[in-house]
Amino acid sequence: MDQPTFGLILNLISTLLACGGALFFIAGTVGLLRLPDLYSRLHALTKADNLGLGLIMLAVLPQAPDLFFALKMLLLWVLVMIAGATGAHLIAKRAVRGDGEDIL
Amino acid sequence: MTPSTAFLAIALVLLITMAAGLVRVIIGPSPADRMMAAQLLGTSGIAVLLLLAATLGIPALIDVGLIFALLAAVSVAAFTRRRIGQDRS
Amino acid sequence: MIRPRSLHRFMGPLGRLGLFSALWAVLAGGSPASWIIGAPTVLSATWASLRLHPDTGRDGRAGMRLLGLVRFTPFFLLQSIRGGLDVALRVLRPRVRIHPGFQSYRPRLGDPLARVVFLDTISLLPGTLSADLRDGLIHIHALDARDDLEPGLARLEAVVAALFGDSLESGPR
Repeated sequence: MDQPTFGLILNLISTLLACGGALFFIAGTVGLLRLPDLYSRLHALTKADNLGLGLIMLAVLPQAPDLFFALKMLLLWVLVMIAGATGAHLIAKRAVRGDGEDIL
Repeated sequence: MTPSTAFLAIALVLLITMAAGLVRVIIGPSPADRMMAAQLLGTSGIAVLLLLAATLGIPALIDVGLIFALLAAVSVAAFTRRRIGQDRS
Repeated sequence: MIRPRSLHRFMGPLGRLGLFSALWAVLAGGSPASWIIGAPTVLSATWASLRLHPDTGRDGRAGMRLLGLVRFTPFFLLQSIRGGLDVALRVLRPRVRIHPGFQSYRPRLGDPLARVVFLDTISLLPGTLSADLRDGLIHIHALDARDDLEPGLARLEAVVAALFGDSLESGPR
């Protein structure tokens, strides 16, 4: 495959991945607004978001100027995923136990 | 051709979803719901920053994204650590 | 049973030092001057991590396995894609299709770090969210509580156990 065609296909893949990522972010927001209770909203928040960010990251990956940038993006995604899952667990635990300072 | 136009359009779409997510911040009902909406804003913001970093050719924007991730993690931890009673882990 | 230490585990002090150094290199972009700040940072990060989570591998039991990681990563990626699709399809319908409720699961993982990884991955799996861990019982919120979550959770637990080289001492099933 010659160089321009390869680049074109890469750009097409990037665009498709980014669109997919945006779709999951939309789903996350729709879930956050539509779902009836706190726990269900947490589901939408953690899962849709992490996948959305993952797809956006994959879309930007081929456009990365150097390897460090690519690795940093990957690191960012992993960190966001760990923080998201842990945060969701903490918020759910707080709600289950009902020991937040707002629940008196 | 670079996918910059598409990236910019998608960044705009993400900004719109962030604005929609703000509705949850306003209506709540509980502080935890507001916190979750803020989390969503953080993650979407990181995605927007990644897209802008690629489109505008400013790699330093990813560092801003890392700060966003850090602040999101710290704020949730701080939010859930504030208790009325004794902390049982 | 004595296992070869260095090959299978990379959670010892030296392994952590290497991990934090690699992280710094990625964050700072590999410029040599950055190590003026980087070296003290990496050293204090290693100290803090050892202080907060002492090496669990002294008895040769726990610690992360490279082979387990190779098995865990594709499983995790596939499941998190399924999880995202599942929740997206549920909320984007004209009528939201959920039957939320709680179920509980008794984990058999012994290693505390393995339990944390298990709790976090539960939340990224399709339809499940770990809500609480109390008295050795995980309370799980399910988007569809009519399904039996047990088989999926047991499968995930086995993969996490392989990641940490944890033999699931058979608790009450």
